[in-house]
Amino acid sequence: MNSFLTAFFSGTAQGAIYALVSLGLVLVWRGAGVVNFAQMGQAMFTTYIASQLIQHNYSYWMAFVIALVSGAVLGAIVDLGFMRPLTSRKNSKLLNSQSMRTTIPVIASLGILGVLKALAGIFWAGEERGFPSPVAPNAIKIGDTNLAITGFDLFVIGVVFLTLVLTTIFFTRTGMGLAMRASALNPEVTRLSGIKVGSVRTLGWAISGTASSLAGLLVTPRTNLSPNTLDLLLIVGFTAAVVGGLSSLMGSVLGGFILGYVISFVNVYSAPENVFIAILVFLLLALFIRPQGILGSKEVRRV
Amino acid sequence: MLSVSNLVTEFDSVKALNGISFQAKPGLITTVIGANGAGKSTLLRTISGLEKPTTGSIKWFDQELTNKSVESIVRSGIAQVPEGHAVISQLSVAENIELGGLFHRRSFRGDLAIATREVYELFPILYERRNEAAGSLSGGERQMLAISRALVSRPKLLLLDEPSLGLAPMISAQIISIVNNLCRATGLTVLLVEQNANTALAVADHGILLALGKVVADLPAKEMIADSALRAAYLGY
Amino acid sequence: MSNGITPVRLKYKVIGRRSTLLSILLFVFFILLSKQFDAYNQAQLANIATLLIAVFSITLLTGASGQISLGQGAIMAVGGYGSALLVTRLGLSMWLAFILAIFISALFGLFLGLAAARLSGPYLAGTTLVMALAIPSLAVRFETFFSGDVGLSVDYGMPPTWLSNLVGEISIEQWSLYVVLPFTAVALFAVLNLSNTRTGRTWRAVRDNEVSAALSGINIARTKVIVFVCASGLAGLAGALYGFRGLVAPSVYPTDLSLTLLTAAVIGGLRSIGGAIFGTFAIVFLPDLIEKITVKLAVPETVGNYLPALTIGILLLLTVILNPRGVAGALEHIRHRKKH
Repeated sequence: MNSFLTAFFSGTAQGAIYALVSLGLVLVWRGAGVVNFAQMGQAMFTTYIASQLIQHNYSYWMAFVIALVSGAVLGAIVDLGFMRPLTSRKNSKLLNSQSMRTTIPVIASLGILGVLKALAGIFWAGEERGFPSPVAPNAIKIGDTNLAITGFDLFVIGVVFLTLVLTTIFFTRTGMGLAMRASALNPEVTRLSGIKVGSVRTLGWAISGTASSLAGLLVTPRTNLSPNTLDLLLIVGFTAAVVGGLSSLMGSVLGGFILGYVISFVNVYSAPENVFIAILVFLLLALFIRPQGILGSKEVRRV
Repeated sequence: MLSVSNLVTEFDSVKALNGISFQAKPGLITTVIGANGAGKSTLLRTISGLEKPTTGSIKWFDQELTNKSVESIVRSGIAQVPEGHAVISQLSVAENIELGGLFHRRSFRGDLAIATREVYELFPILYERRNEAAGSLSGGERQMLAISRALVSRPKLLLLDEPSLGLAPMISAQIISIVNNLCRATGLTVLLVEQNANTALAVADHGILLALGKVVADLPAKEMIADSALRAAYLGY
Repeated sequence: MSNGITPVRLKYKVIGRRSTLLSILLFVFFILLSKQFDAYNQAQLANIATLLIAVFSITLLTGASGQISLGQGAIMAVGGYGSALLVTRLGLSMWLAFILAIFISALFGLFLGLAAARLSGPYLAGTTLVMALAIPSLAVRFETFFSGDVGLSVDYGMPPTWLSNLVGEISIEQWSLYVVLPFTAVALFAVLNLSNTRTGRTWRAVRDNEVSAALSGINIARTKVIVFVCASGLAGLAGALYGFRGLVAPSVYPTDLSLTLLTAAVIGGLRSIGGAIFGTFAIVFLPDLIEKITVKLAVPETVGNYLPALTIGILLLLTVILNPRGVAGALEHIRHRKKH
């Protein structure tokens, strides 16, 4: 029973982080039609910024906030500096090909990922370093017994839950949230309603950047920080987004938690070496059985 | 007033608009009619900024609109209802209307609430179905919604692109009559592109007849109706 | 000639002749170049010749048929392990193992193609990326069979006596080049033929507009599968040759490898075979060049380690944003401008 609970709680905490990554991916996919493979590179970069601040004696929370803000700024820079020029190249015949139009931004995001990794290595040296957590990673005790959940797990779940609530409120109750949803669904009609769709899209990139920064801050206490540690997170986040539905924000969150449980249970009941294969199998199953994802709509391809 | 001078819009060296000039006077309904392919929709899309003209100018009173972005043209008080009752199907009726008023600078909540109420008074059926997805509305209701979204921003000029397209005659007549009444009541300037010349000329003050990208007649509506030779030659009846 | 058959046959003859000539030229070019180089650079040249085959697979897959794969490195691993196992467990000759590696990876490509035919764009990219991570991890998972992280030690063996009698003493580096080059030349021959005949046109039609292609009677799914089979065969061959430099292990085929191959193809020009050659030279020699510069400028090692990756990443970005058709495309553009 204890291993089940451990797997469950750890799966919930991990799933919460995957949900954040997945959410960020879907935000940019819906808003800009790009799957941003550089997303966790951005997160790695901003987590390094936080780490540097902490090493120079800033408080954890100060570093936390600055990391989130940097995430937003970095996301906006990626859109304004790279993605917009990319999609506005009118004289590129390469973009006339249907399949290239989705492929080129993917390649660009891979380039950004490579540059961010190299820069992180240059600025902060590539050796692994630890990252603090504000809550001790010990199991919570009730009386004398250890529960299968740690304080840090609770912290993660709490923070992500709060983020999801805020995000939902933003999208369903605010004007800007409505503008973002509308821009993703139908850019032309939204422009005809007087909304600057380009700026809204950049905001989407910024929010996605913040979400992934948060994911980076929450995952590195356990995995340590180096230019490559967050790569796995991207793979899982992508799979989560596909499973939940690349076109659905709710779906991305659902997918994140599902994958959190899958990985956690494979880790506990099977073997850690099987995790990659489990992810691949899960992804393939999802793509074969229900390519639009659990909560996604039927249009699999974004035109 | 809207002044269009020597407007030329090309698609891959085909001139869809070949030097169009006319004026749409404030507070009046000006209708642009003509056969299919005459350039009516291209004209409206160029004015609204969705297409960029090769040469020529578009002015709203003194404001040069010619190469501005779609969003800034809308923000200047020019609202547009593109053809095909463009609404966002996945959003609700209320959200579609709210979208139209989002960009308002002044304390939009106050104005937006009033404008929204006025729009619901104009089209009560939309109020009944305000929480339903726009995609579940009938064609006529969707057209009403598209117009509502445009109206809620209290525009000074309304561009209507073929509002009767795909609608039963009775419904499109109803919609056009509502627009007509609105124009008379509020002094809204309307530029109406219509396939159905009959209905359009019945409510319009002024008519512009297009053929092959050029203006062939620019007359008060009553005169255009009366000119049977013109009607026979270009409108087929 | 009035009947339609003969001109086509003539055309194939012309294409065949041209590609044979170019393949021989490539072979000779590499040999001549190697004579000018020291041992280290000769080994690099052999690397180029090996990786070029994998980059060709991307030219076919992404350039010609528009399907993006971030997992070519994983397919290289399939070929590498396939050939290494054949040699170490079954005692087959290296040459036979290389040939069989093509078939093993082509078979793998068949399954991959069947899965991929339904996917496009980012779905395909993501799935192949996951594959790039999952496949090397199989070696660790089934440690007894694949020798886990330690890997399988294999090498090119010694040059045969009749050859060293013919051309004089052959160093290890030279021998590695002589082993790889014939395969590179044949790969070039194959790629040229595939691109310039109707097969290539079919693939490009699918790339540019699937709907139109389908309407012209092209079987989209079958075409995509065929491309995957061909590309996988090439990548697997490259992986086999790559592994026999000394070791077949997960660390030899990291995820970065797939991205490096893609970068080479993009920088040179995704759709150009000449571009693939240029890109592969760039990707192998650029890090060496940068290292020479950093040593000369006394740049600290912590920075110097990452400069190659940074430069290549920046090159990739610049290419994609400013000049998506790569170096080959830019040259073609200049030639086009000069004509008019």
